[in-house]
Amino acid sequence: MNQARTWTLLAVMTVSLASCKTEEEAKQGDFVQLSPRESLIRLSVDLRGVHPSEQELLAIEANPELYTAFVDRFLDDPGLPDTVADLMNQRLLTRTGDTYGLMAEGYDTEAVREAVNNEQLALVRRIVEHDLPYTELVTADYTMANPVLAEALNLEYPTGARGWEKAHYTDGRQHAGILTMSTTWLRYPSAGGNANRARANAVSKMLLCDDYLARPIVLNRAAVDQLTVDPETAISTNASCQSCHSTLDPLASHFFGFFVYDDDDPTEGGAAVYRPEREEGWRYYSGKTPGYYGVPTANIAELGQLIAEDQRFKDCAVQTVWQGLTQRLMVDEDWSEIAGHMSVFEDNDLTLKPLIRSIVTSEEYLAKYVLDEALSERMAGVKTVSPAQLSNIVHQSTGFRWEFAGRDLVTNQSSGVPVLLGGIDGTTIQHRNYKPSVGTVFVQKRLAYAAAWHVVDRDFAEDNAAPELLKWVLVTDTPDTNPAGFEEQIRQLYLTATGIPLAAKATEPAELATLWRQLYSVEGSSKKAWAGVISVVLRDPAVITY
Amino acid sequence: MRSLSRRRLFLDGAALSSLGALGWTPSMARSAQGERKFLFFFASGAWDHTAVLEPHHGSDFVDHQQDSYLRELGGLRHTANDQTMEAVSRYFSRWGGKSAIVNGIDAHTVGHDTGRQMTMTGTSADNYPDWPTVLAAKGSGEYPLPHVVFGGPSFGGHLSSAVVRAGGGTLLDLIEGSIVGASDTPAPLLQGPSEQILDSFVYDRVAAFAGKRGSMPGASRGRTDSLLANMDRSMEIEGRKFEAGLGELGNTVLDQAIKATEMMRLGLSRTAMVGIPGGWDTHGGNAPQEVQFNNFFDALDQLMDHLASTPGLSTPWQIDETVIVCLSEFGRTPMFNGAQGKDHWPYNSALVCGSGIRGGRSLGAADSGSVGLPVDYASGQASDNGDILGSENVGAALLKLGGIDPETVLPGVQPFHALLREG
Repeated sequence: MNQARTWTLLAVMTVSLASCKTEEEAKQGDFVQLSPRESLIRLSVDLRGVHPSEQELLAIEANPELYTAFVDRFLDDPGLPDTVADLMNQRLLTRTGDTYGLMAEGYDTEAVREAVNNEQLALVRRIVEHDLPYTELVTADYTMANPVLAEALNLEYPTGARGWEKAHYTDGRQHAGILTMSTTWLRYPSAGGNANRARANAVSKMLLCDDYLARPIVLNRAAVDQLTVDPETAISTNASCQSCHSTLDPLASHFFGFFVYDDDDPTEGGAAVYRPEREEGWRYYSGKTPGYYGVPTANIAELGQLIAEDQRFKDCAVQTVWQGLTQRLMVDEDWSEIAGHMSVFEDNDLTLKPLIRSIVTSEEYLAKYVLDEALSERMAGVKTVSPAQLSNIVHQSTGFRWEFAGRDLVTNQSSGVPVLLGGIDGTTIQHRNYKPSVGTVFVQKRLAYAAAWHVVDRDFAEDNAAPELLKWVLVTDTPDTNPAGFEEQIRQLYLTATGIPLAAKATEPAELATLWRQLYSVEGSSKKAWAGVISVVLRDPAVITY
Repeated sequence: MRSLSRRRLFLDGAALSSLGALGWTPSMARSAQGERKFLFFFASGAWDHTAVLEPHHGSDFVDHQQDSYLRELGGLRHTANDQTMEAVSRYFSRWGGKSAIVNGIDAHTVGHDTGRQMTMTGTSADNYPDWPTVLAAKGSGEYPLPHVVFGGPSFGGHLSSAVVRAGGGTLLDLIEGSIVGASDTPAPLLQGPSEQILDSFVYDRVAAFAGKRGSMPGASRGRTDSLLANMDRSMEIEGRKFEAGLGELGNTVLDQAIKATEMMRLGLSRTAMVGIPGGWDTHGGNAPQEVQFNNFFDALDQLMDHLASTPGLSTPWQIDETVIVCLSEFGRTPMFNGAQGKDHWPYNSALVCGSGIRGGRSLGAADSGSVGLPVDYASGQASDNGDILGSENVGAALLKLGGIDPETVLPGVQPFHALLREG
C-alpha cells in the first residue's frame, strides 16, 4: 500500500471511530454505535458470511481498537470473494437458475446450471482474490471456467484443473471480460429487429447503473406515426427517439458477433455461438457505426477499454458495493457519503478491498442508528441475512446444511427458497427484500428444526464420544437431574447461534428448561425435546439479523 | 399456553408500539369481509393486444392472423377466430357482460423489465409496490397471506413484507412441515402441540426483539415490525392450512387461479398473481398468440364458472366480490415483421372483469394503426379534449375499486373512472 493510500484510509478510520457515540452519550445528529461485539458480528457476516469465533469476539471486547485489524484480516478471508460475487450479482443479475439449453457431457443439469450462472461472477471472484483493478471486468483477455463450463462451451481450459480457472474461447472472438462471455449474451438475448439494443441497455445497466428504459419516453404524434411505418428511420431521425438511440445503437453495434436472427430457430445454435461473419450486421440492422458515447470504436476490446475509463463505471461499482454492504438504496442525498469511498477506490487503482475497507470503517456502517430523522429513514441499523449467509451461519453453528439431492435448499435457485428468504432470482425478482416475510419465517422455522435434529442425532449418538454442541448434557439428563448442565448448555447454544452471550441474570435458561419439559411431556423423547429447544434458539431474531 | 390471536398481540406493549409504526391500531383490526379481492393474471413477454382485445380488421396498418374476424357483442369488440380461438368467443358470449376491455393504454416503454414494472406499478422508479401489493397491504382487512404470487412479476417495494411467493410449491411444503422429512437427512416431525409450544416461545422472543429495536428511529423499525407481523401471520396460516387445502397446489393456470380465489374466500389473502403460460415474446412468428389466448380464455371461462357457483366471503357468490385483472407489459407491433412475428409496441390493452366493473364494453381508444388516442376518463370514449390513457391510470382505478385513495399512492394520477361501475 502506498503512503497516500494509507493516510486516506487512516483518516476515514479515525473519523469513524471517534465520532460514534453510545446510546447514553448520543445527542441529536450523532451516530449511536454498535457494541464492539456487535460491530465484529456485522463485519464478519458481511465480509465472510459467518459469525466471528468466540475467541475473536472476546478479543475485540477486550480491545475495541482491534476493529481495523479485524477488517484487514477479514479482507483476506477466503470467504470474501464469494461475498463480493453475491453483491455483484445484484447488479449483473446473471444467476437466474437458467441453463439456456446448454449441456455438458458427463455432467448433470444442476452442474451445468451452476456453471453457466457463474462465468461473470467467477471473474469478480478472481478480481477480489488477486487484488486486480475492477476494470478487469471489461478488459480481461480471458474468460473464467470450471470443467463443466469448459465442456459446455468448448473452452480452452487448463488440463487437469478442477475449479474456476482462466480459460479462453477458441472460436476466434476477442476477449473483453464479461462483454465477450457467451453466458452474458445468453442471459441478455436480443434477437431480430431488436438488433442488440436490449443488450446495449443491459451493458448500461450492469456497468454504468444507467437504465435507458427508466427514462420517460416522450413520443409526439409524428414520431408514433413514423414508428408505425418505418421504425428504423424514425429511430435515426426523430429527436425523441434519438435522445436514447443516438448512444444506444452504436453501443449495440458491438455485439453482432453474438447476434441471433431468430431465437426460436434451432439451427442458429443460440448466443453461445460466436459468428465473426455477423460482426458487421449493424450495417443492415441499424446502420450505426460502433461507438461509445460519441467515440468511435474498432472492436469490442476497445469498447471494454472505454467503459473502464468512464467515470460512471467507477461510480456504479462504488454504488453497487456500498448498497450491498449497507443494505441501503442509494438516493441523491447519499452522494456526499459515497464520495469519500469513491476517492479511496480511485486512489487505490480501482481495487475492491480498499473500497470495502472504506465502507466498513465508516461511521454510518458502524452505527446502530442515527439521531437524525432524515438520515435514519435511509439507514439500516438492523440488517437481515442473505440466503447464503443464513445457510453459512446455521452450518457454522450446527454443522448442518439443508441438502436435497446434494444441493443446498437455502441457496439453490431452483428451490424457490432464496426468494422466500428475500433473495433475488435475477429475472422477476431483481432487488433484495430486506424485510422478513412470512416466507422467511417458515424457512427459518423448518431449517432450524432440521438443523436441530441433525445436532441431537449426531451428538447423542451412542458411539459419539466427542459431541460438538451438546457437551453439557446427556440424553438421559433432565432439568431436575442436571440443572447446572441444562443452564450451561442453553447459554452455550445461544452464544454459538447468535454470537451474543446471555446476561448473567437472563431468564432464557429457565424458560428453555421449562420448554424442554413441555416438549418432553408431549413427545416422550429427550432427543425431540432437545431438537425443539435448539430449534427455537436457531429461530431467534438475532440469527437472521445482525 | 398463551393465546396466539392478534388480540393478544395488541395487549403486548412492545408489540403495540411496533405495530403503531406500521400504521396499525386496534381500531383498524377488521375482518376481510366487505373488501373486494383481486386476482391478477400476467402474460410475461408481451402479448399481441390486437390478437383478441383490440381488433383492427379492415385496417391497412394492422396484421391479424388468417381467418380471424371482428366480433361485436353490444359495446364489446374482440377478435374472433373459429378455427383457433373457440374458447375466446365462448368466454365473451358467457361473461362479456361482466368484462371490460381497455384499449389504447400507453405502456411508456418497450423493454420487458421496465414494461412489467410500469404496468404493475405505474412508475419506473425503484421501490414502488405493484397494484396487488398495495391493495393487499393498504386495505382495511388483515390477511395472513396478503398477496400471494403463484407466478408472474412481483414488485413488493416498501410493502414487500405483504408479498408471499408460493415458490413453486416450496412454501406450501414449508407451511405443512413435510419438507423436513424429505431432505437428504430427514428429521421426524413433531406433534402439533409441540409446534404450537415452540411457535409461542419464538413469538415472544420476536415480540421482545421488535419492542426493543422498534424503539429505534428509522428504517430498522420496518424490518423488525415486519418480522413480528409475519411471525403472527405464519401462526395464523398454520392454524388454517388444512382449511385452505394448501397441500394440493396444482400447476395449471386454472389450478392456481382456483387455489388463489379459495384463499381469498377463506379470508387468507386479498390479492394474488398468476402467470399466464406461454411464450408471448413472438418476434419469430405470431401464430402461438392465438393458441395461448385460447388456452387462457378456456381457463378463464372455467374460473368464472367456479366463482359464479361458489359462495363468497361476504357476497352470495364469489364472482360478486372478486375482480379479475389480465395484463401484459406492453403490446406488439401492429404489423408482421419479416418472420411473420411481431415486435414490441408501446400501446397495449387490458381485460378487467368481475365485481364493480362496468362490463360489456370496450373502453379506451386507438387509431387504425393501434396508436392510443386521447379519451375522456369518465366515459372511456375517444375525445379530443381527453388524455392519453396510461397504465398508471388503469392501476389507479383498480386501487379506487379496492377502496384505496390512489392519491396516497401515486399523487396526481387520475383514475380511469370509466372502468368502474360506480364511477
